[in-house]
Amino acid sequence: MSEQTLKTLPPKIPTRPLSPHLQIWRWHVTMLGSILHRVTGSASVAGVILVAVWLVCLAMGRETYTVFVQYASTPLGLLVWFGLSLAGFIHLTGGLRHLIWDTGASFGPKTADSLTTWTLLLGVALTVAFWAVLFATGKVTL
Amino acid sequence: MSNNDAMDRSSLSWKKSARHGAGEWLAERFTSVALIPLTLWAAYAGFTIAGTGYEGALAFVSRPLNMAAIAATVLITAWHMYMGLKVIIDDYIGKSGTRGFLIFLTFGLSAAVVVATAGALWLVYQGA
Repeated sequence: MSEQTLKTLPPKIPTRPLSPHLQIWRWHVTMLGSILHRVTGSASVAGVILVAVWLVCLAMGRETYTVFVQYASTPLGLLVWFGLSLAGFIHLTGGLRHLIWDTGASFGPKTADSLTTWTLLLGVALTVAFWAVLFATGKVTL
Repeated sequence: MSNNDAMDRSSLSWKKSARHGAGEWLAERFTSVALIPLTLWAAYAGFTIAGTGYEGALAFVSRPLNMAAIAATVLITAWHMYMGLKVIIDDYIGKSGTRGFLIFLTFGLSAAVVVATAGALWLVYQGA
């Protein structure tokens, strides 16, 4: 390789911006849905950890379990469960949206937008219904 | 992959990944589809257990069918969660050392959730 060709090689690339560029894009509902899918998926990780802790406390016996339930049933504890269920349901309906897109359906700009809006609303509706039934049956009280 | 390898590939084989990727794609879809009924069942389980105290929760978890459903849900969720977190890390972390370390931590976390659940279920099973 001659001196000339070496000089034409591209310079070592410095740090490039990584995806996605939140500051540059104009917000639209499919973008919101995409971001929320990652946010709710990440939040659900906390939910999975909490369920594992719950199960370990149950296995450790009555005293440990009672301590867990005492924390879990405080207003703050219920707020955490509510948030985790909201994240879980939005991620579930977001997953449905992605599976529908995986079949190649609903890819037009208009239908993709409305599918995103409806799956987001369905996730919120499922969460509200879930907690409405929990409170209505008296299983959860504030 | 060198240019010669690229020339050797038929038009049909271009539909597949050169190294890997198709497997991950399928695994993501498999876990997603499996988690639709499993998470709905988990919501039903949470509803059933809520407000029933230690006895109620223990009775629910002790049932073999529920135990199997918990094990399946946690196992597939941990797998799904590892893949999801890995994709996010791949997207946002540019430095390969940091990236590798975070993916390793993610794997450890996913494995820990599975081990903790398996241990807890085994203890409940022994006690039942």
